[in-house]
Amino acid sequence: MEIAYYPGCSLHASTALYDVQCKEVLGRLDVGLKEIKDWNCCGATSAAKTNDFLAIALPARNLGIADSSGYAEMMIPCASCYSRTLIAQKTLESDKDLRDKINAELSEKIQGKIKLLSILDLLVKKSKSGEIAAKAEKKLTGLKPACYYGCLQTRYPMDVELSDSIENPQGMETVCKALGAEAIDWGYKTDCCGASASVNDTDLSIKLMSNIMKDAAARGANCFVTTCPMCQLNMDAYQDKAGKQYGISERLPVYFITELIGVSMGIGALELQLDRHFVEATGLLRGLNLL
Amino acid sequence: MPSQTLTVETEVAGSLAQEVAERSGQNLNACYQCRRCAAGCPVGDDTGVTPDRLIRMVVLGDRDAALNNLLVWKCVACYTCGTRCPNSIHTARITETLKQMIKEQHLEPMAPKVANFHSAFLASTSHFGRVNEMEFMAIYDFKTAVNELTKGGGLKAIIADLKNQMQLGQAMMKLKRFHISIDKIKGVAEVKRLYNKAMGK
Repeated sequence: MEIAYYPGCSLHASTALYDVQCKEVLGRLDVGLKEIKDWNCCGATSAAKTNDFLAIALPARNLGIADSSGYAEMMIPCASCYSRTLIAQKTLESDKDLRDKINAELSEKIQGKIKLLSILDLLVKKSKSGEIAAKAEKKLTGLKPACYYGCLQTRYPMDVELSDSIENPQGMETVCKALGAEAIDWGYKTDCCGASASVNDTDLSIKLMSNIMKDAAARGANCFVTTCPMCQLNMDAYQDKAGKQYGISERLPVYFITELIGVSMGIGALELQLDRHFVEATGLLRGLNLL
Repeated sequence: MPSQTLTVETEVAGSLAQEVAERSGQNLNACYQCRRCAAGCPVGDDTGVTPDRLIRMVVLGDRDAALNNLLVWKCVACYTCGTRCPNSIHTARITETLKQMIKEQHLEPMAPKVANFHSAFLASTSHFGRVNEMEFMAIYDFKTAVNELTKGGGLKAIIADLKNQMQLGQAMMKLKRFHISIDKIKGVAEVKRLYNKAMGK
């Protein structure tokens, strides 16, 4: 089956590896990702903090493009892009005036047809149906991931229907189980890494990350796994700094969920771009004979 | 956390509470100060003001306190306060509204770097339709440097900032996680139109 795909700016830049992995891994699960044409930035948290109209209008343009793409569903792997796009769709469903105002500016109008999917919506479905386990050639025995959801995978600033628990989500654990990895139970899975504060309020962000690192290490995790490009970049790029500042010796690789699935499918380290991690990410897998 | 005395100005209280409630879409009067939000707020220790206090400032009409506190700037938009609130009040939406009001009233941001970050992000979006990390960071660094030179820590602070970013930039370059070419969309004029409409230009 083919579905529409919105990668977002991160997946075209600092987390381009996630884009490659999504296409490859989902392709092998018979989901063809068709990138919508000429998409724009969703505005992320910056638009929400600056202007209410822009925060809806930017993702609305992408919704218009997706609505006329001919596909019934669109997958958005980035937690922030998914959140902003879903909020725009929900807001425009009930606010006809705003929809008209925005549609007046758009060449491809919002019709409210496209169904939005997060990456976990897809992967949990493929885990429950047995498709992931069937394609997982190598069981990830010995891998003990701390499934790190961060904020936006489960929390929204409005009421939305959720398929997972807000406080103790299990989506990634479900996928890990299908891969034979033993996800640990821990307390910081939905805590914030600071997001853009890593750049504009570094000390605060480092402190938040140190709390997450301490708990994961204390519970015996040997890696993190995440779906959010912002969480991945922060926990990967700043882990060493946070560790040094807060006296934490463990440095755990921060995998995207697609990397774990990819490894279990037998996709090579270079093809998955596992060499693009700040915290070395292949040693652990080699030690467990998974690469 | 030191307790803070809030002043009540009954005549202005109604108008501030109403404006913030309407713009943020949050029913502030439903807050009964249970402080579940405060318990979950990841930045409360650093800001000295927790979501419950911020709501109280607005409800009591203390405009000065509501527009001049660190929670508005340090809120990381994690949305924990809102999802845990028994009355579904999303205080993160309130910080968003207050930040917009500060901008509209040309008040000095208490955390200029945060303000610069978000305006640089959106400027980059409006130029190309997508955020280009290199251009975006250049705009952010320039704005922050101007700010440090005119009001803040001077050259020393600028050098510290740049050094910090250079280290990250170099590591990203080495790991091929830095995107050098510019990603520009065909519909950039449409995005620019939405941006201008939003900014009242």
